[in-house]
Amino acid sequence: MQGDSGNPTLVENFNPFSAASELGGTRLIYEPLEIASPIDGTFTPFLATDHRFTDPRTLVFTIRKGVTWSDGEPFTAADVVFTFRLLKQYPALDITGVWSVISSVAESGNLFTATFNTANVPFAATVAAVPIVPQHLWADIADPTRYANTTPVGTGPFTLSSFEPTQYALAKNPSYWQADNVAPATVLFPAQSTNQVTNQLNVVAGTYDWAYNYLPNVKDTYVSRDPDNIYWFPPGGTIGLFMNLTRAPYTDANFRKGVSLAIDRDLVAQKAVNGYTTGASMSGLVLPNQQKWLDPSLSRRGYVEQDLTAAKASFAKAGFTESNGRLVDGGGRQVSMTISMPANYSDWVTAAKETANQLGAVGISVQLDLPQAAQFQTEIQTGNFDVAMNSFAGTGLPYTDFRNGLASSFAAPINTRTVNNFERYKNRTLDQALATLAAATDEQTQREATYRLERIMYEQVPIVLLYYGGSWGLFSTRHFTGWPSAENPYTLPTSYNNSILVVLTRLKKA
Amino acid sequence: MRYFTRRVVLFLITLWAAVTLNFILPRLMPGSPADAALARLASTGQPITNAQRDAIQAQLGGANGNIVGQYFDYLGNIFTLQWGRSYSYATETVAHSVGRALPWTLILVGVTTIVAFVIGTLMGVYAGWRRGRAADATVTVGATFLASFPPFWLGLLLLYLFAFQLNWFPITGGYSAGTAPEWTWSFLVNAFEHSVLPAITLAVTSLSGWVFGMRNNMINTLGEDYVTFGQANGLRGRTIATLYAARNALLPNVTAFGLSLGAVVGGSVLVEGIFGYPGIGNLLYTAVTNQDYPLMQALFLVITVSMLVAIFVVDLLYARLDPRVRVGPEGS
Amino acid sequence: MTNVSVTPSAPTDIPEIDDRKVNRSHLPAPVRFVGRAVATLWRNGKARIGIVVLVLFLLVAALAPLIARQSPTSTDFIPYQHPNSINWFGTTGNGQDVFAQMVYGSRISLLVGLLAGLGATVVATVIGLIAGYRPGPVDEVLSFLTNLVLVIPGLPLMIILAAYLQSRSVWTIVLVVAFTSWATGARVIRSQASTLRNREFITSAVFSGERLSRVVFREILPNMTSLVAASFFGAATAAVMAEASLEFLGLGDPNTVSWGTILYYAQQQNALLTGQWLLVFAPGLAIALLAVSFTLINFGVDTLSNPRLRER
Repeated sequence: MQGDSGNPTLVENFNPFSAASELGGTRLIYEPLEIASPIDGTFTPFLATDHRFTDPRTLVFTIRKGVTWSDGEPFTAADVVFTFRLLKQYPALDITGVWSVISSVAESGNLFTATFNTANVPFAATVAAVPIVPQHLWADIADPTRYANTTPVGTGPFTLSSFEPTQYALAKNPSYWQADNVAPATVLFPAQSTNQVTNQLNVVAGTYDWAYNYLPNVKDTYVSRDPDNIYWFPPGGTIGLFMNLTRAPYTDANFRKGVSLAIDRDLVAQKAVNGYTTGASMSGLVLPNQQKWLDPSLSRRGYVEQDLTAAKASFAKAGFTESNGRLVDGGGRQVSMTISMPANYSDWVTAAKETANQLGAVGISVQLDLPQAAQFQTEIQTGNFDVAMNSFAGTGLPYTDFRNGLASSFAAPINTRTVNNFERYKNRTLDQALATLAAATDEQTQREATYRLERIMYEQVPIVLLYYGGSWGLFSTRHFTGWPSAENPYTLPTSYNNSILVVLTRLKKA
Repeated sequence: MRYFTRRVVLFLITLWAAVTLNFILPRLMPGSPADAALARLASTGQPITNAQRDAIQAQLGGANGNIVGQYFDYLGNIFTLQWGRSYSYATETVAHSVGRALPWTLILVGVTTIVAFVIGTLMGVYAGWRRGRAADATVTVGATFLASFPPFWLGLLLLYLFAFQLNWFPITGGYSAGTAPEWTWSFLVNAFEHSVLPAITLAVTSLSGWVFGMRNNMINTLGEDYVTFGQANGLRGRTIATLYAARNALLPNVTAFGLSLGAVVGGSVLVEGIFGYPGIGNLLYTAVTNQDYPLMQALFLVITVSMLVAIFVVDLLYARLDPRVRVGPEGS
Repeated sequence: MTNVSVTPSAPTDIPEIDDRKVNRSHLPAPVRFVGRAVATLWRNGKARIGIVVLVLFLLVAALAPLIARQSPTSTDFIPYQHPNSINWFGTTGNGQDVFAQMVYGSRISLLVGLLAGLGATVVATVIGLIAGYRPGPVDEVLSFLTNLVLVIPGLPLMIILAAYLQSRSVWTIVLVVAFTSWATGARVIRSQASTLRNREFITSAVFSGERLSRVVFREILPNMTSLVAASFFGAATAAVMAEASLEFLGLGDPNTVSWGTILYYAQQQNALLTGQWLLVFAPGLAIALLAVSFTLINFGVDTLSNPRLRER
């Protein structure tokens, strides 16, 4: 199992709320209430058997009975309440920000109730994903934000059996509540190198049963090396051009539409990720994952084809015309664009190069800028960028995707930091649609509100979505079968997040 | 004695300046540790949110007080090894991280440098002695060529060929996954196997400095009167080369030894990274990419201080070995 | 470098060459000076090889459009091609022609190598000369500065500086490399200058009332041309390597094609795994060859200052 990158060696830290250095195996030790699939939002129950909204502000989970902690103590709803209150007491632990929405939590019998300060039905997925820790052990920890938790006790399918800086091992928890569904007896996490080439060589050499790694020409480099080797590279999110919407000419929707029409998206995907994924739909949905939410009125499922004539017409509406092969404004100055992205994201860089070529063909002068990843974050958060490559969506939930990416409330002034909606889009119609979607508990209303969001994305082009970023799952069927696949897409093949728990409770012995 | 005092004072001032520079440099970098952590999350393709940023900011804590206060805290903490907590390994102290990586680099770089020094010096003696002949040309041009390979490139090629294709050596790490460092024969063999490729990479690319230095010194020394005198008195060529010329030519090469150690540590950053070797170079690279100020400071400190000490010791040693130096401020 | 021929009183390291008188009336002094230096270097076998290699690279860079028939930036070729008649070195995973990239890439590598080498040499010469000629506080401060730069690990320092200088272009790399690699040269030049300081012709120049700048740059500097040249080629070698390392780490200018960026993309697309040997091998070898040519020329330069090193 390839899960953790040791830099250069692993540091023992099984604190499930540690953002900086949590080890992936922690997710097999501590279970959340439920896990929403990052593909379509379907819930898989763990410590809760189900959940419902008694009203759009009151979320009630039914807590599973008969579960014990790995030290033999019984697990109860009190542990759940304790965990949530712990996050409230120590905001540093609240890495998913549940207390930005929750106003209070309570238990009664086997019911756990979270009351929200505003209607937010899709937030159930975030609440459900909080890993639950045992009250009888965590209540006495002096500073849980600095707690390395080297002897973790959880409810999950595995317990820690050994730890070395180069590798740690988890062993199956015999008293796990669904032990019958857990096929592997042990899970090994060797430390990875910081060097991508070295990692890829390790993967190809057959070190892992499950690896998450981009590989060029995967059929030749991986599949053909062993008959047991299989791969699944589903789309996991959307990579797009985020224009700084406080700057001209990006303030003009016609200009943005022109850019969108000038790009051959499938070609960008071909160059950037070997064609493992396709060009992105301008609906804002990740297709085919979120197929069921797609507005049927969008032509070609929202995919915008390259159309240079239409692009020029759109640029003309924005006041830009072509002159000697250059796209110029009324004063005869050429449109110039600087696209920035982190230096180490090679597929983004390649995509940006191809996009630059294509935009150059309609007369826009494009430069690329590759800061270090941390500097890039600072630049986009403070709004000091021209055009940035970034990803949109990826949670599986249209509400969360559109809200994170486009909600006006996040559009901070320039030089004030914001991670979400850093392009600083403001649209009241979109905010209303989001509010409707947040409060909707019936699927028909949810569907209609989602269609409205998609049409805003399609017509206003707040982000020029380019192609789907892949989720690079590499598997070996030598020991286990039942890996997520195109035929059985129950979760994304990401070994570093909650998907690992979903996958490892579904595998079968080969 | 005056020479000695002057050296010590100068050493202390340089030390202070280097230490201060180590404090300033990491803070020059744009971006912040929280942004680096966020970038790390984003790079896995996970959607990131403002809530996450707030929590990470709170977890990392960041530096307390204003920049002047931070500086004096830093100066004070140097002596107590209280270098704080690393940002990228929130639960571990910097001293611990550095302490764990240091032996690996010391062994890898130390052994590599000594091997390169010995082989390079011997080759230099030989080339200088046989100056102008085919052997000299072969040795010097050959060493030049090897030294001109970018170390990371040579490392990649060796890794691919000997570790991946031929399977002679392990691909990554300082020792096999699942074993712990211990003083057993099997572990030592295991660690040795892991160190062969990075050591060859570093040794091959750092060999030439010793060859050229020694060759030129040899040629100079061979031209000195006492060597000519020895020849005139019928001493054999080999005796002259080894007993007289080489011994005197060695001195400048020894001084270069101190400086080169630091250069090799710097050069090991990329090589250790490629081989996933658990040493200082790899750690330093991680610290830089994660904007881990405390860790970066500590690593720069360890490297610069050890280099300064090495130069200081060599300077004193040189003055002892060659009294002429004490007159001028420094020998060349 | 200042005009050398006006100070015939100073014994120069450059041997007198017969055609000097002939040249004096026709050519500007710097050209004559370079001509003489090259002629001396040419007599050294190793330097001769170095010059030939360097000139070859310069020719390739200058004539790039004639040598490479394909565009280095076009991504229209079939990706992952092995060498064939259209793409002599094959193509990258993005469908770029590797041969064209290699040929055009020589421009950046040469530019960075030569300019950064020049920058580092200028800094090294100025600091080294002043420190060597002015003992006491000035020397102490400058030597101290030199030692400081020497002990800070180079590559991490470059990474930090490259990140700090927010505009990422070839010039950033030139600046960063020049800024970090002058110290070795300055040390050598300083100690040579301090020994020259006490020589008779300098003392007499000082006594005859010449200005300090004139003494330093007109009397001392010409006696150190070979050292300066050596530090130039040393710095240029370091610059070529440093550029490759920075670009390999993705800190280069993404808008240009250079050997370092070819290696970077080769690594990102794991060219070794897809069997694209040349993609990794060619740029590394080119970097090595360029560095070799600088070092070989330096062998010749060494013989200028140290006749004992001359080939018999």
